[in-house]
Amino acid sequence: MPSRTPDAHDLVFTGIGITTAVGQGRDAFLAALLDGSHAFGPMNRPGRQVPSAPTGPDGTGPAFLGAEIGELAMPAAVPPRTLRTASLSARAALATLDEAWTDAGLADVDPYRIGLVIGGSNVQQRELTQLHARHAQQPEFLRPTYGMAFMDSDLCGLCTEVFPIRGFAHTLGGASASGLLAVLQAVRAVRSGQVDVCVAMGALMDLSYWECLAFRAMGAMAPGDDPGAACRPFDRDRAGFVYGEACGAVVIEREGARPGRAPYGRFLGGATAMDGNRNPNPSLEGETRVLRGALREAGLTASAVDYVNPHGTGSRLGDEIELAALRECGLTDARINATKSITGHGLTAAGTVEVIATLLQMRAGVLHPTRNLLDPMDPSLPWVGAAAEPWAVETAVSLSMGFGGISSAICLRTC
Amino acid sequence: MSTQDVLKLIVENTREVLPELEDHAFTADDSLKELGANSIDRAEILMMTIEALSVSIPLAELADARNIGELADRIHAKSNA
Repeated sequence: MPSRTPDAHDLVFTGIGITTAVGQGRDAFLAALLDGSHAFGPMNRPGRQVPSAPTGPDGTGPAFLGAEIGELAMPAAVPPRTLRTASLSARAALATLDEAWTDAGLADVDPYRIGLVIGGSNVQQRELTQLHARHAQQPEFLRPTYGMAFMDSDLCGLCTEVFPIRGFAHTLGGASASGLLAVLQAVRAVRSGQVDVCVAMGALMDLSYWECLAFRAMGAMAPGDDPGAACRPFDRDRAGFVYGEACGAVVIEREGARPGRAPYGRFLGGATAMDGNRNPNPSLEGETRVLRGALREAGLTASAVDYVNPHGTGSRLGDEIELAALRECGLTDARINATKSITGHGLTAAGTVEVIATLLQMRAGVLHPTRNLLDPMDPSLPWVGAAAEPWAVETAVSLSMGFGGISSAICLRTC
Repeated sequence: MSTQDVLKLIVENTREVLPELEDHAFTADDSLKELGANSIDRAEILMMTIEALSVSIPLAELADARNIGELADRIHAKSNA
């Protein structure tokens, strides 16, 4: 076995922030996960349904389904003048970062030694669509703020204005793998010594009806008029992903750098791969490569993995290839569930949200149920079905894949 | 619409952009800059004002106004042109 990176096992997760449609904050989120609750329904946020198109049973096309955040609780640290022009993605970023910041106690850290990687690109689509529509007839009155706010990096500007982060901050785009790529980039930033503490965030991808139309047209987004049943990863009756608004943030640093912190878990290894494919279809070769790469860096054999948190979107082909990759790598004894069956697919946020789901389940010693898994594609795998199960997880693997041939995997361990 | 009405509109928009000025007693001598509005805030306030009045003025023409009274005068002059 190849030698490991000498300090690979020194990195730990010391803070979590999470905002989803099923709950804001880590306690509410874990409770929702273990309950197997959901927030799916026809989407109501302005700009989520085709304007003037008849929808519903009597219309030409069914409404787009998804899980939307109810009321987003904003921290007092964010001044009202900032909120006025902050997009939904930006507000979710600020609220989620606030939780992770407080959880990790970052107020005492030198701001010049803190970095921020925000996973996601083109995340504010709905707000931009709304703005374009508003000014279509009178473009000369377009707000000057648009000149900075249309860029995803506005989230970096806002987050570092409200929180003292002075090491670096940038976005990192990798489609639905963005959230995990951000975590792996944050690991590199701490490991290299660029910063002592790095926050990785999976940004809230705010879809407009345009993206929903395209996802549906390409067969990626599940149709259907039964919101509770539409999202069914790894079930034989699955028909695509169902969108779910989410934002997650984790704080990564060297173990023991700040005494008194009780980390959620340890980073063991990670890997990314490109399939050489611009299209949305997954690749068995790419997924096995990242699984093997992450396990190799972690110094783990497949049989030593207790739990797999898969990408599992509910995609016809994606779920099939992912299970094939797990079998190919011998990951058939590890318990497995599907976080997206509860949260929906957060797209750019998903990778971070699922690292958080993994860390919270590890700490709780309970695995969350998989909703709608009535007829598993591969019944031989040790699924967590309709009810949560107590399970001691020492080692875990999570996968994230993105359109354009991106595969990524991460290995985690309890502390 | 009088100059006073334009001034009132500028004050309203300033309070929206800078909510911390809610209790400030505005006068025509107030400078947006001195009230804490940065260049984007100022452009935002002016754009909101000229949109509400449906008057098209390049913002550059308002850049050297010293206070909100002067801004109101210039926008009022354009709106009646």
